[in-house]
Amino acid sequence: MDFAWSDQQRELLDAVGRFASQQLNYNMIENDRDGVFNHDAWKKCGAFGIQGLLVPADYGGLGMNPLTTVAALERIGYACRDNGLLFSINAHMWTAITPLVSSGSEAQKKKYLPGLCDGTLIGGNAMSEPNSGSDAFSLATTAVKKGSKYILNGSKIFVTNGPVADLLVVFATLDKARGPNGISAFLVEKGSRGMNVARKLEKMGLRTSPMAEVFFENCEVPEENLLGKEGTGASQFTWAMTWERGCILASAVGSMQRSLETSVRYAKERKQFGQPIGKFQLVASKIVDMKLRVESARHMLYHCAWLRGQGKSAYLEAAMTKLHISDCWVKCCEDAIQIHGGYGYMVEYELERELRDAIGSRLYSGTSEMQRNIIASLLL
Amino acid sequence: MKILVPFKSVPDPNDATVAGAATSAPKSVINPFDEIAIEEALRIRERGDAAEIVGVTIGPSAVDEQIRAALAMGIDRAIRIDDSRVLDPYAVARILRALIEKEVPHVVIMGKQAVDDDSNQVGQMLAALLRWPQATFVSKIEFLENKTRARCTRETDGGLEVVAIELPAIITTDLRLNEPRYASLAGLMRARRKPIEILTCDELKVAVRPLTTVLSIARPPKRAAGTRVDSVEELIAKLRQEAKVL
Amino acid sequence: MVETLVLIEHDRQCVKRASLHGITLARQLGGEYALLVLGQGLDEIAASLVSYGAFAVIVADDPALTEPLADRYAAVIVEAARKYDSRTVLGTSSTFSKDVLPRAAALLDVPMVTDVLAIEEKNGSTSYRRPVNAGSMLATVKLESDRRVLTARATAFEAPAADGAACPIERFEFDVASLPNGMEFISREQRISGRPDLTEAAAVVCGGRPLKDKDTFERLVGGLADALGGAVGATRAAVDAAMAPNDYQVGQTGKVIAPQLYIGIGISGAIQHLAGIKDSRVIVAINKDPDAPIFQVATYGLVGDLHQIVPQFIDALRRG
Repeated sequence: MDFAWSDQQRELLDAVGRFASQQLNYNMIENDRDGVFNHDAWKKCGAFGIQGLLVPADYGGLGMNPLTTVAALERIGYACRDNGLLFSINAHMWTAITPLVSSGSEAQKKKYLPGLCDGTLIGGNAMSEPNSGSDAFSLATTAVKKGSKYILNGSKIFVTNGPVADLLVVFATLDKARGPNGISAFLVEKGSRGMNVARKLEKMGLRTSPMAEVFFENCEVPEENLLGKEGTGASQFTWAMTWERGCILASAVGSMQRSLETSVRYAKERKQFGQPIGKFQLVASKIVDMKLRVESARHMLYHCAWLRGQGKSAYLEAAMTKLHISDCWVKCCEDAIQIHGGYGYMVEYELERELRDAIGSRLYSGTSEMQRNIIASLLL
Repeated sequence: MKILVPFKSVPDPNDATVAGAATSAPKSVINPFDEIAIEEALRIRERGDAAEIVGVTIGPSAVDEQIRAALAMGIDRAIRIDDSRVLDPYAVARILRALIEKEVPHVVIMGKQAVDDDSNQVGQMLAALLRWPQATFVSKIEFLENKTRARCTRETDGGLEVVAIELPAIITTDLRLNEPRYASLAGLMRARRKPIEILTCDELKVAVRPLTTVLSIARPPKRAAGTRVDSVEELIAKLRQEAKVL
Repeated sequence: MVETLVLIEHDRQCVKRASLHGITLARQLGGEYALLVLGQGLDEIAASLVSYGAFAVIVADDPALTEPLADRYAAVIVEAARKYDSRTVLGTSSTFSKDVLPRAAALLDVPMVTDVLAIEEKNGSTSYRRPVNAGSMLATVKLESDRRVLTARATAFEAPAADGAACPIERFEFDVASLPNGMEFISREQRISGRPDLTEAAAVVCGGRPLKDKDTFERLVGGLADALGGAVGATRAAVDAAMAPNDYQVGQTGKVIAPQLYIGIGISGAIQHLAGIKDSRVIVAINKDPDAPIFQVATYGLVGDLHQIVPQFIDALRRG
């Protein structure tokens, strides 16, 4: 088992780290406080090549393998402190780009992927509804075919990137009686008649990632915007979800690494009772725990991505990765605050924001409870 | 038109916590002023005024990373003159002159100074050796008369000056000429396929040695720490009575 | 034979006083020195230079030299250096000398040292101290050449006394027809300012990015400078943001100043700016960030909102 990066990978990862640390870290505290999405940073990431890492070069991406991709996302998570921006980028990659790449027609791919890769288009998906979260396939948004159009009716909640998205992958059912097999996926462009992006939702963390409720009232979608075949929406979603689960917390591993380094530095510099606080076992022990979490999270991340690169579905590994990294991230953030004492509680130190950002990771892409269900169902 | 951009690999000036002191593996970057020169060459080509951009640097294989960074930005090919000596500006100028006589560019655009050595000599010396016109500290370049001349705005102590120079010429860049693009990952991947030519001073038939030797480098004496004042009144009082500058 | 030629700079009206400090370095180097002036219509300027203890004031006065085109100026300087068999040609650091002197050095086939801060003679050899890495380090170098070109940081050398007996003014004849013709002067910004020259003023007020816009910059930074009878400077960030013109820029790649009093308003103290002000006698910093690096070099630091403080400061000075 070769754990080493090639020269080419190293060069790429270094370039990602340099780009992120020099170009993406500004106005962090104000943007978090005011819930401002950094569109400029988004565009820079697109021009640099982040959004299109996994997309085949034919469609404007870099055609990178999954392992290099997650390593790049980890590095950007390390170097960029705007977790909200990274969350928006991830939502865009896994919920809009991935379904398009796997199920899109040639025409759809050529139309949308280049812009989704280069930063000019922002994507997202609309799946959750007020009455269907974990129980995603019990959704109630309906689609009815009328002539050359589909008419959508319903309401979606927790639509990440909703307020700024140019393209949403919307899941609606053509036939509720058929359950999951009635669900289809539709590509809905911003400004479509009958689509109303409503109020922006204010969140505990990831506040620089915009989120909204979206209402569909006789929203007209041309038939060429049906994604994949009718009735394949649920399986498309499940497929995209396994990608998402394995990869969406790659940047969290980078964030954890940063918190660990910050905490180590502080533990060495901060003196109380005549010595650096790192000499006290209760502080040292937390650092040890953080280190174990970072390493184990990283190993699971890479292994899952490697399996993906081998063509395996990695369904079990993805769920375990997501569950484990999210738990680790939250605990690392808690420990980082604790190590910094009162300063950890101060907005200025940016550690409290990390915790607020991290808590979301136990909820999106399937709650931790859902991940446990999935893992259990595969073992028992 | 062929543009030649000489560039230097320097310690990252943004890594400046302990400038000059040996930290573990200090990072190197393309000299910021040379990056501006590369960017300008790229823009000139994007306007359709240049067909080829060639980069050249002098150094050991360790500077290949900066060469790839320049290729990633978009220059067409690069030359490394293999030489691990510590050179001074006059030696650099004489080596570059030999390379220029070989490459025959229409214009040479380069940074006005390297941010480690801060000498601000090479461009002007090169112009003298070639007997070419020069435009230094340039903040704007326009080509005139079918690219036989260039009109350059220069940033001088007295403000902005405009000169027109015959080509071929040496142009050195100042800060406000442009803001260099960030090389994209795609550019980085393309860079791996672009050729890097390695030459030696022997092959260029130039034998020079630096005439400047650095005897020592030390931190300047630190200014004595001052005091905080709490109000304008206190500040004025101290400036009057203590410092006696008011 | 004249040991050293000192290039004196002028703005077509009068001598730039900072360039006179090169005379002090020439005196330190020892031997005879002559002052070299190039341009057109230089009678008054030449007359103002006769009392600095020079061997002569050498004047290259010709319409062909009306504007400081580097190819022509370097050619004339080289001819003068050869005629007088000078071992050293020097000037004080400025965009003019940096444009022209390296070209002259290469034409003379000699090495050059930029921004000399001090020299030391030991066992018959000279070493030069100069700033590197934006002035964060000082390098001591020596040259393997008995001929050289130097630029000296004016702020590192005292102004020379003008108490010598009058020296002759020599007209330097050169072959105008053989001067290079590849460069043409087009235009220059003309800005009249009532304020003293940035490199000559006893008090300088510099502003940074937090001044927000050109009008606020002029009102607060300009206002304070006027209340002190001083000059106005700016950081690179302020110039980039078009709050001030490029010739106000102070720092590693702008002007280097050492006034009696420097006041930095809304300036954090990046190394590149500090490189331009470190040798000021008194440094005052006004910034709302108590951790700004400039406070580590400031003689007096005042933490607070510049939009409140500076108007108060201006008022208090006006009231006397």
